Amino acid sequence: MIKKKKAIFFTFIAVAIMAIAILIFTPQADVSLEKDTQSIRAKISAVNGYVDDLQSQYFETVLRALAYDSVLSLALYENSTGSFLGNFDSAFSEVILTGKINGIDIDSVTGKKIMSNNTLADWNKRISGTAKDALNVNTTIIINNVSAFQTTPWNIDAMLDVNLTVTSDVAEWRARKTIRTAFSIEGLPDPYSLVNTKSTSSYANTIKKSTVNFNQWNIGNVRESLRNSTHIYWQDSNAPSFLMRFTNTISSSGCCGIESFVNPNKLTPSDQKESYIDYLFWSHRFKDDCTQLYNVNGLWDEFSFFKLDFDDVAKYNLTQTASKTC
Amino acid sequence: MPIKPAKIKDFRGPENLKNFLGKRGYFFILDAVLATLVIAIGAILISSSYINIPKSTQVGLLSDGLMNFLSGTKIKDFNNQYAGIGGELWNQGMITDSENTLLQQAGQFYAENNLDVADKFIENASIGIIPQQFRYEVWIDGVVIYPKIKTSEHLASRNNTEILLTSKKITFGIMNKTTGELWGPYKAEVFVWQK
Repeated sequence: MIKKKKAIFFTFIAVAIMAIAILIFTPQADVSLEKDTQSIRAKISAVNGYVDDLQSQYFETVLRALAYDSVLSLALYENSTGSFLGNFDSAFSEVILTGKINGIDIDSVTGKKIMSNNTLADWNKRISGTAKDALNVNTTIIINNVSAFQTTPWNIDAMLDVNLTVTSDVAEWRARKTIRTAFSIEGLPDPYSLVNTKSTSSYANTIKKSTVNFNQWNIGNVRESLRNSTHIYWQDSNAPSFLMRFTNTISSSGCCGIESFVNPNKLTPSDQKESYIDYLFWSHRFKDDCTQLYNVNGLWDEFSFFKLDFDDVAKYNLTQTASKTC
Repeated sequence: MPIKPAKIKDFRGPENLKNFLGKRGYFFILDAVLATLVIAIGAILISSSYINIPKSTQVGLLSDGLMNFLSGTKIKDFNNQYAGIGGELWNQGMITDSENTLLQQAGQFYAENNLDVADKFIENASIGIIPQQFRYEVWIDGVVIYPKIKTSEHLASRNNTEILLTSKKITFGIMNKTTGELWGPYKAEVFVWQK
């Protein structure tokens, strides 16, 4: 009987072997492995793109925007308090990181909503939250240092030193990065004139770059500059840079000194024994020393009592329309 | 006790062979049928799994492709009568920064609450990118930017599809270049599926 049924056993064995072979060699196994590899590769690629974007774009964009806002806030802070900053670097760092100055919310002093929810810490928190939501990664950003300085007269450079760690379930990225960016000072209020003219509300002086070349100055261009309150850059001048104006540091900047004419029509009294170049005027370099001052008579029809010291009369090519004050 | 040798059936001879075939033939036939069935099932399984793979791969490639196109193409490099430089939106002053990528520009429209413009912008920007047998959506910050108005066919297709894949990216940008006012960061998502 057993012998008679032998063939069906062979059949069952053949079926079992075929089933095992199909299970082993079915492409499903390869495909799922490939799928896993592909999904890990896709995830790493997506997080890698995010880390690249963070380092190459996000930090720079945020730094540029917040550095601008911080500098603007500091200028408005000086306008509100009527006094200069003791140390620009520490004030800038505190404002951009925390939105505070000397522990006080700077927006509450200036009355402008600029730094509220707009600090480096806020924006780092924002990108970390979005990355967690979009890519399921943990982002840790540690700020080592942030600073602002000038290397050119019309721009402020901002620098940020950060440690970045991005952790996902498949890999971890670590980097220390120094981000540098620059923004124009044009349109920002001049802190030096803000503090010095606090009592004169009409004297609003924002930074406006003069387009006159150094060898093209004459009475017409000086008149236009007075009308438009433009700022002028002279190579190797004795003027302070924009950032030095925050701390009333009136000395030669070396790289970035800028100056502007003081409009006598916006002053009370208009007639003062000073050279009407802003940093000379408010530092009283020629106060009551009328022997070194010259009336620029050619401008007195519109800007009465406008005076300059000898060096500046020569520099602005006004010798023919100037006469000694005394 | 001596062991008797087993009797071996002798099928030799025309009569015996006829007998053998008559009794055992059905086993061989059954064996062949079963083997054929097994091979056929195996072949079907293998071929069906091969058919499934390209489907998901294609959808994945399309979602990644659309996202990469939107996030990697700048306005200045995009020749389009509606969304490119000198196009309708440019002339209306709706687009001012040619360095923005298409995704950033869509994000900026969202940040400015110009959702209608964002919808039309994405529609124009993605013409020809996704084949007609596929449907797609673009989301920013959890809000559907395109298509703003979903047809019933669109919704049914999305609900009934076998494979729907997404591609994600983070987008951000500058609202005002002078002040550096920022928008974002937003999660941007592209969903693609077969109709």
